[in-house]
Amino acid sequence: MKAIEFNEITKSFGDFYANSGITFSINKNDVHCILGENGAGKTTLMNILYGIHKPDSGKLLINGSEVHFNSPLDAISHKIGMVHQHFMLIEDFSVLENVILGNEISEFDVIDFKKSREIINALIKKYRLNLNIECKISDLNISQQQKVEILKLLYRNSDILIFDEPTSVLSPVEIHEFFKIVDEFKSEGKTVIFITHKLKEVMEISDKVTVLSRGKVTFEKRTKDEGLDLSELSRAITGKEETHSDPENIKNDTEGEVVLTMKDICLFKDKLPKLKDFEIRLSRGEIYGVCGVEGNGQNEIADLIMGFENNYSGELIRLTKKVSIIPEDRNKKGMIKEYSIGENFVLKFKRNRYVSDNQVRKISEDVSQNFDVRLSSVDSDLDSLSGGNQQKVIFARELTADNDIIILMHPTRGVDINASGFIHKKILEERNKMKAILLISSDLDELIKLSDRLGVIYNGKIVKEFDKSELNRNYAEGQFSEKNPKNKFDIYEKIGMYMIGLADEE
Amino acid sequence: MDLISSILSITFLTQVFRMMTPYYFGANGANFSERGGVINISIEGFMNLSAFSFAMFGIISGNIFFSLLIAITINLIFSILFSWFTVKLKINQIIAGVGFNLFIAGLTKFLLMLIFGSSSNTHRFEGISDIDIFKKIPIIGGIVSDPLTLFCILLVFVSNFILYKTRFGLRLRSAGENPEAADTLGVRVRQYKFYGIMLSGILSALGGIWLASNQNSYSEGMIAGRGYIALAAMIIGKWKPVNIFFACLMFSAFEALEITLQISGTNIPTQLIQMLPYLITILVLIGFIGKTRPPAADGEAY
Ligand SMILES: Nc1ncnc2c1ncn2[C@@H]1O[C@H](COP(=O)(O)OP(=O)(O)O)[C@@H](O)[C@H]1O
Ligand SMILES: [Mg+2]
Repeated sequence: MKAIEFNEITKSFGDFYANSGITFSINKNDVHCILGENGAGKTTLMNILYGIHKPDSGKLLINGSEVHFNSPLDAISHKIGMVHQHFMLIEDFSVLENVILGNEISEFDVIDFKKSREIINALIKKYRLNLNIECKISDLNISQQQKVEILKLLYRNSDILIFDEPTSVLSPVEIHEFFKIVDEFKSEGKTVIFITHKLKEVMEISDKVTVLSRGKVTFEKRTKDEGLDLSELSRAITGKEETHSDPENIKNDTEGEVVLTMKDICLFKDKLPKLKDFEIRLSRGEIYGVCGVEGNGQNEIADLIMGFENNYSGELIRLTKKVSIIPEDRNKKGMIKEYSIGENFVLKFKRNRYVSDNQVRKISEDVSQNFDVRLSSVDSDLDSLSGGNQQKVIFARELTADNDIIILMHPTRGVDINASGFIHKKILEERNKMKAILLISSDLDELIKLSDRLGVIYNGKIVKEFDKSELNRNYAEGQFSEKNPKNKFDIYEKIGMYMIGLADEE
Repeated sequence: MDLISSILSITFLTQVFRMMTPYYFGANGANFSERGGVINISIEGFMNLSAFSFAMFGIISGNIFFSLLIAITINLIFSILFSWFTVKLKINQIIAGVGFNLFIAGLTKFLLMLIFGSSSNTHRFEGISDIDIFKKIPIIGGIVSDPLTLFCILLVFVSNFILYKTRFGLRLRSAGENPEAADTLGVRVRQYKFYGIMLSGILSALGGIWLASNQNSYSEGMIAGRGYIALAAMIIGKWKPVNIFFACLMFSAFEALEITLQISGTNIPTQLIQMLPYLITILVLIGFIGKTRPPAADGEAY
């Protein structure tokens, strides 16, 4: 039984084809993964399924019969629900209000809050979402916000659930929780569409895989039934024969000068402690990795170094003013979406001077070539770029700026594997140019691969520091995972315990 | 001494509450529009228009109830026009608002000359009369006996209820906060923006009607910036019906004080008092009441 059939779906923006002749189907009660590089057209296809975009041509069948969606309302009435890549939440509303909006239980237009609360709290309990429904969205962290999005689908009793890159913003622990929820959906007979860049996740959870590339289906296989393996999948995505090799991480030996010292830093926000006796030393020519569950003070470290936060006690010595940052929330803080690539670069120019349209266009062209940014035209607003491509633009701007310290927050979140390999290579290059790099991430693979030192942050404090040799040893062992699976998880497990505060401080 | 006792009197209190009426209708109306994400600065013009049409049809027909309905209907037509410009054609909301204000100012002037042959005012007419039995209520009798003022006070609770307890209110607010998100949940965003603007048209009509009725005539320039002060009250009131009510009371208190001072003949220059509301607005906006935050997508076309 097929839940969804895409038949020759084509969608263009101007003369750029985001989807061209996409044909494949999704079985009922499958967990169906869709993969593909940034800008492959995954989100566009899902937006068509959810009624946000209308296809130029092609047919869409739901449960065997053809449908024509004019708006999300039509998709919702076919029990389709979607968690968007960029969350669709109203910051100033409570969890409750966000969930019921559009499907309110009301009599004579008066909302029955009591009944709504009961229903939603029951769902929260059933799926162990652990949310307070009276909280405002602006007070929640990303993982909690995602739970609100999931709650919206549950409340609408959707049968077909679309998740557009849900795990790229989650920490390993949270991903695990998320997968448990997906399992539950499957056991209830729901169909799940799941977009991700992480191949391990695909192998773990999917029943079937479809790979898109440049708007076309390039690969399709059932995971377990047809015996898909990791290397085949990775070949299908990268289009290369061998799997993408990790860049070599060779550090030059010269000790760099310490450019940033933070000592005994305490920071309160809204009377809550965010950083407690926080300590860190960052030298030129090193990558200091900070790892932790979201909301343990990572954002505050970045704010302090950037000078956004001045109400702290303790010692903060910064020997340079040339700091670059890729912020966590780049959509809001890193760019102006209504500007083109070039215009976003010009924003960072030091001096006011005349910049011609051609110069701006030239920057856009260079960046899109050097950093493989896919765009429909050089004048495109960032808004029209896919999420991963927007990110490459910010990365390109910050990396090429004149700087001594680079703060990278989740640099490869939501970026495809080719691009993330490329980004890692660039980060190492910058390190070797004797830049001081602070890498804040929740991707353990990335942290272990790149960090020269790794600090685990928990409750606003570095509770454990690992040095290169420790990480290297364990990582090398990790490479032989198939022979010795236990070793592989050794360092991961150890870090994981510190991240959730279960390990004793030494 | 004389001055203080007249300020502490019930007459003064009554005056403050009654004068609050046009401000609150304007501010609360504008708030419904802004909650849906449309900045409506043509409140001034809307009040001007309804004051004129109420007076004109009142004089022509001699029937207050009829002229009230007509005045509201005319405002409704203008607000449909306004939403056509701003929501459908997505013309910049401020520019559309300024355009409406200027157009209405010209139109009323023209019709005043054409129909009443005067460049300044209409003939006198009987305005909306007080509810006599309510007058006997102690202390607040003078306030609640004015039907529009009474309605205004009830409106505080009704608006609060509509915005926060009804489906309509939730959806209207979602359109002003994050129209894209609302859209993905099946909320017909433009439709709600349209409703918000219509409400602003109807409510500001009542503000203009109160002014004309109270003065028993229409005269050119009689709105005297009250529509703009109403917008200031909305901002000071942080886009919340109850807070807006108190902000309006503050403005009407100053207006009443000004009149009392004029009558008592003190040597405090009235210009100083006239200046106070604006001064207060600026001070308040600078930061006396903390951060005010408009609806997140206020003023953006969708
Ligand atoms: N509204 C739009 N206008 C113009 N181009 C768009 C628009 N939406 C998406 N695109 C382009 O379509 C391509 C596919 O985007 P998308 O579906 O978001 O990719 P992804 O597979 O990363 O989700 C991208 O190159 C993007 O620039
Ligand atoms: Mg996408």
